[in-house]
Amino acid sequence: MILKTNNLCKQYQHKDGLVDALNHVSFEVNEGDFVTITGASGSGKTTLLLSLAGLIHATSGEIRIKDFDVVNASDRKLSDFRRKHIGFVMQSFALIPYLTAIENVMLPLAISKFKKEQKYQKALALLKLVDLENRKNHLPSELSAGQQQRVAIARALVNSPTLILADEPTGNLDPSLSTDILNLLKKINKEEKITILMVTHSPLAAEFGNRKINLHNGCIN
Amino acid sequence: MNIRKLVWLEFKQHKSQLISGLLAITLGIAVIVGIRSISVVSEKAVAVNLDNLGANILVLPQASNVDNYYAADIDAPTMPEEYVDRIVSSNLEGVDNLSPKLTRRVKVGTENVVLTGILPKNEITSKPMWQQSGLLGNDLKASCAPSNAVNQSNGYEDEKLQRKVIDSLGADECLLGSTISRKLKLVDGSSVIILGETFKVSRVLNETGTVDDDRIFIHLHKAQELLKIPNQVSAIEIMGCCNAISDGLLSKLRNVLPDTRITTIGQIVATQIQTNKMMNKVSLIFLIIIIFVGGISIGNFMWANINERRKEIGMLRMIGFNKATIYQMILAKAFVLGIIGGIIGYILGTAAGVWLGPELAGLPVQPIPSLILISLCISIGVSLLGSILPAYLAGRIDPFKNMQEV
Repeated sequence: MILKTNNLCKQYQHKDGLVDALNHVSFEVNEGDFVTITGASGSGKTTLLLSLAGLIHATSGEIRIKDFDVVNASDRKLSDFRRKHIGFVMQSFALIPYLTAIENVMLPLAISKFKKEQKYQKALALLKLVDLENRKNHLPSELSAGQQQRVAIARALVNSPTLILADEPTGNLDPSLSTDILNLLKKINKEEKITILMVTHSPLAAEFGNRKINLHNGCIN
Repeated sequence: MNIRKLVWLEFKQHKSQLISGLLAITLGIAVIVGIRSISVVSEKAVAVNLDNLGANILVLPQASNVDNYYAADIDAPTMPEEYVDRIVSSNLEGVDNLSPKLTRRVKVGTENVVLTGILPKNEITSKPMWQQSGLLGNDLKASCAPSNAVNQSNGYEDEKLQRKVIDSLGADECLLGSTISRKLKLVDGSSVIILGETFKVSRVLNETGTVDDDRIFIHLHKAQELLKIPNQVSAIEIMGCCNAISDGLLSKLRNVLPDTRITTIGQIVATQIQTNKMMNKVSLIFLIIIIFVGGISIGNFMWANINERRKEIGMLRMIGFNKATIYQMILAKAFVLGIIGGIIGYILGTAAGVWLGPELAGLPVQPIPSLILISLCISIGVSLLGSILPAYLAGRIDPFKNMQEV
């Protein structure tokens, strides 16, 4: 088991009162799983993903990733943990516009102790993996949406993470590009043995996982 | 890829923003450097001019009256001539020239005159100790004045200076002030009987408008002999560097000669101090302005830049950059801004000083290399200071902003 949540709750303060975004969510993920988290808008799936990464603090409950206590960790420890163990793939790609593809991929290594050449070779290998080696010196604006997402996936892999958290990775892509990206994630999951948790509200995308978690009003269905 | 490269690439990306961010700090530094370049030359010129006014420190016996600086030595009590050696051997900085005097009122014919015994230069230089000190062996010049290039007054037009550089004065020779020479109807080469001894008028001095015009100068040792006051002097005139006087030369002299009265021309020192203070105040005012305006300007630029990069910073936080790394990135940028602002400000300020110096101060202004360090320190300091709050706020940006687009 790589990830475990136990009675995870998250409440937001709203002017009309408290809102339960997550309500006693408990589940486990095993190493090598490709879990898709589905649910309607407002069901709490993004809140769950953010909580798992320690990007928002859970109101109560427990999250453990590889025995690391996410809920009670300090900001600094959480940052270190994310850098070493979690890769992120976002709907909007979140690439830095003034960095080339290979520089974007190397970004998480900026504060690592790898040598310059090692960083470069690592990033280049990942660009090869996502079939963008020939675009390594292109800026994001010079790449298509699908290519940008593949650069983002390469960046998520550069620290050899234990877990990839993907938030609607195909949300900005047309259906054929979506399939490419989902296939790429599937390939990474199978070949690199990296556990993936993917939030989506696309039933098609949800089929790519080997396990589904459906959220409804902050509870697991 | 490392933090330095990331900061550099971001810099290159926002070159135009950089110019507006740098404007206030660069101009501020330029103004400080410009003022300082001119004021340093101006202070030197004032110091030289004041030093060239002549002796400005008077050492008198304790019981002397110092109401009138220029006449304080007349009929004053006496003190040992050996005090001159004490001053010389103390090696005090800023003591340029020493002139021991013995002064008494005497009758010459029917006229009351002031007789002053002075030491000519050839006797001063013959004293080994004085030669070692380097005080009086060479031509009189305001050696404490910071720049000889600025010192235009080595021609000794001033009569008081002339008196101090009298090369030789024989035991039977005298110099006459212009007023007394007219009263006694004496000219160069005339003879005059003083206290029963005949003296040849070596030279009639030009008019100075001071009590010196009424004086007759003879050799100090002759005066001591005639007045029957051996090895005693009534005053020691010192040409003290005005800057040194401002810096406490008088109290140092008092330590060397505790049983004397040491006085100076108050206005001279006051003028020097006032000039220095005014220049320093102007620089200080600009320094305060630059700290406020430059700091606010840099802070504003940084905050605008951070706001524009909120998603980018949020993403960096998300992939594992901790707060300290974000602070480091922002402050590294501020540091580079400070360096650029300091260098450009120094160049602009120096150019303005060199160009405007002759117009404003009537003096040629040279670049002052040491100001580059001060410029850099101020510029980097202001830039870092102005960026502290934006850096702190950047560290607080929510890392999950990029993921809230569902």
